[in-house]
Amino acid sequence: MVSRIESPLDRNIFGAAYAGARRRLGGEPVVLDAQEQAALKGTGLLSLNGHSLDEFFRIALLVRASECLPPEDHSAFISELYIRGDNFERQALLRGLTYLPDPEQFLSTAVEACRTSVQLIFEAIACDNPYPLSYFPELNYNQMVLKALFIGSPLARLVGLEERITPELVRMAEDYATERQAAGRPVPEDIPMFITNDLGARNEAF
Amino acid sequence: MADAGISAIVEPSFWLGQPRTHVGTFEDYFLSFLGWERFRASQFGISHFCTLSINPKEANSPSIAQGVLDLLPRYLEKDGVVAVGEIGFDDQTDAEERLFAEQLKLAMEFELPVLIHTPHRDKKRGTARSLELVRRVGFPEQRVLIDHNNEETLPMVLETNCWAGHSIYPDTKMDELRMVALIQTYGSDRIIINSAADWGVSDPLKVPKTVEAMYEAGLDEKTIQTVVWDNPVAFFGQSERLDLDREPINQSQLWEGNSVLRGQDPVVES
Repeated sequence: MVSRIESPLDRNIFGAAYAGARRRLGGEPVVLDAQEQAALKGTGLLSLNGHSLDEFFRIALLVRASECLPPEDHSAFISELYIRGDNFERQALLRGLTYLPDPEQFLSTAVEACRTSVQLIFEAIACDNPYPLSYFPELNYNQMVLKALFIGSPLARLVGLEERITPELVRMAEDYATERQAAGRPVPEDIPMFITNDLGARNEAF
Repeated sequence: MADAGISAIVEPSFWLGQPRTHVGTFEDYFLSFLGWERFRASQFGISHFCTLSINPKEANSPSIAQGVLDLLPRYLEKDGVVAVGEIGFDDQTDAEERLFAEQLKLAMEFELPVLIHTPHRDKKRGTARSLELVRRVGFPEQRVLIDHNNEETLPMVLETNCWAGHSIYPDTKMDELRMVALIQTYGSDRIIINSAADWGVSDPLKVPKTVEAMYEAGLDEKTIQTVVWDNPVAFFGQSERLDLDREPINQSQLWEGNSVLRGQDPVVES
């Protein structure tokens, strides 16, 4: 199927293959044998060993499609695919962004994904994904961390969080803790990793 | 809602749970506020008003934000529109600030009050920035309703001449007992409460339920009346479009050929 994706890209063939992947292939984890691993050497896709088969296939399709499209079309292509995708299509796309050339050009799609109300989509960009660490400006990164606290996505899954902790992010986390305390609501478990001993102690008392 | 004592509602335009991708979707949304929603409410004896805007979250979508902003003047003059809103901050980006300021200017031009949403994340900062922007634009504070306040933001709002809204939700933004405590601390002046029937878990009867909680806590009749009726009527009345004399219910009426009834006998008030 991936080999049927040729240049110039036929959007209908691509769209059907991408959309139908989960139904046709299922979501079992990929286990690459030695021969397959050797065949994928140097492509970047090797690190997808263990991902679900539909996601592996979709990301391979994205990589192939990007080879068939002129570079100036990549950003609009990804943006449109995101808008028209269902939850799992969006999840695969977001996890695939760093496998594509010049990933910073997809920043607006990645940031938009953080505005979702669907936890699966939020976590596809925020969790176990190196994209935000590499490309998110401070404002968007901080908002993503706060949203992870807000909706209960574990901060341990945010790639490279320690590198992005700034005084501003600490202030935001502290403000969130005091807001919850003032409301008589529990403070998220992950907040103490940011904050000073004083508030941490109060947090424990709470 | 009518059975619970609700006789008028103001429905603000906001986000619908997933992003809209075309300006035309907003236009149909605005038209539903001015059309079917008004009719549907009237069929149960509820007066329906609305506030229109491009909301803070979708202000970040460059492909639609400007287009919706350009549409608004066509709609703000219409009957039933009693404010510009919800506007304000979500992620607190530059794009949000620009659309926020532009819509404050539109509200000045159309002599409407504004309903300002305060963000979930970094809320204190977002509230402070909203109050600063109102001041910077020179928008009259008595025509501003800052919404979704909590224990920390309410005192910030009451220091200004803005009104303070509180969204009573099942679990999150504000609940009945916290609200009672805030009224016991701060009184009823410029305090408004509201509820939601939105895309997440919400309860459109939270205003009457909070009234119940206020009675149980021993708050006096006058305070309760001020919070749930006099204040919102005074605030949205500044639009001079809050006509609360409703027509008698007549469920034999149709809207574009459609009835709200599904086989029930029509209620017709005399």
